[in-house]
Amino acid sequence: MVKHTEDHSHLDLLFQEARETSVEPSTDLLARVLDDGLAHMPVAEVAVAPVSCAPAWRRFLSALGGWPAAAGLVTAAVTGVSIGYAAPGPVGNVTSGFGLEIGTGYDVVDLIPSMDGFYAEVEG
Amino acid sequence: MALDQMNEMSDETLLDLYGQGDPAAARALTLRLTPRVLGYAARLLTDRAEAEDVTQEAMLRLWKMAPDWRSGEAKVSTWLYRVVTNLCTDRLRRTRGVDIDAVPEPEDDQPAADERLQQATRMAALDKALATLPDRQREAVVLRHIEGLSNPEIAEILDISVEAVESLTARGKRALAAALSDQREELGYSNG
Repeated sequence: MVKHTEDHSHLDLLFQEARETSVEPSTDLLARVLDDGLAHMPVAEVAVAPVSCAPAWRRFLSALGGWPAAAGLVTAAVTGVSIGYAAPGPVGNVTSGFGLEIGTGYDVVDLIPSMDGFYAEVEG
Repeated sequence: MALDQMNEMSDETLLDLYGQGDPAAARALTLRLTPRVLGYAARLLTDRAEAEDVTQEAMLRLWKMAPDWRSGEAKVSTWLYRVVTNLCTDRLRRTRGVDIDAVPEPEDDQPAADERLQQATRMAALDKALATLPDRQREAVVLRHIEGLSNPEIAEILDISVEAVESLTARGKRALAAALSDQREELGYSNG
């Protein structure tokens, strides 16, 4: 038992000496480790204004005022085209519906400007 | 940030700074951790060139892991010791039957006048004795008695219980004492 104690104290001295004996890395090893570190280092985040990468149609929509504004615009356009495309009915149909017989002899078509009227004005 | 200021920072803080792209943190970590890793690897492998390879590989893993490091979960040194232990174990398994004779022999006929030479002789003897221990015993003894870690830290590194660490270090120390008992005088220790 005494022998063990002596052996361990002898060993403890060795351990202490080993702790105090630092292993110095070579400059080459330090350079390799640092090179690896710099090569794999995450890129520092720089505060920059975010660049918009939205598609052109989305930016156009945003300039119009968004989806509600675009919906209103489309509705107005479709309505305008349909009114222009559909032939208007005679006014007489409406007036006779109220039981009135005006009998002007004119139809709505007569009120639409024509090329004949244009030439008459030019010659006059 | 100045390197002097970084010397006072913990490993975890430096790794966090490195993860944010601070090159000064990379330099500070390199200078602080490389000697520690190399010393531990050299004790386990008893081969300087192999130990340098392991050191570079372990540090490379640290750099790659940095962006995913979560502060407060573990100590950087504990993580690093575990990586080095695993890398050394892999290398020792590949080269099983490692040539113990490759460990430098203590120079028996050298006069003891030169204390540095005597110290080198003692360290060589210790390394040679360590190389005779089973892997786990050697790792536990080096971590406990040379690296100065606590038993719970060693348990975490080796992924075993604290009781197992105590058992490994006790058996390892007894084996080392036996291996070195007949060299006391040669190593400069008296029998008294």
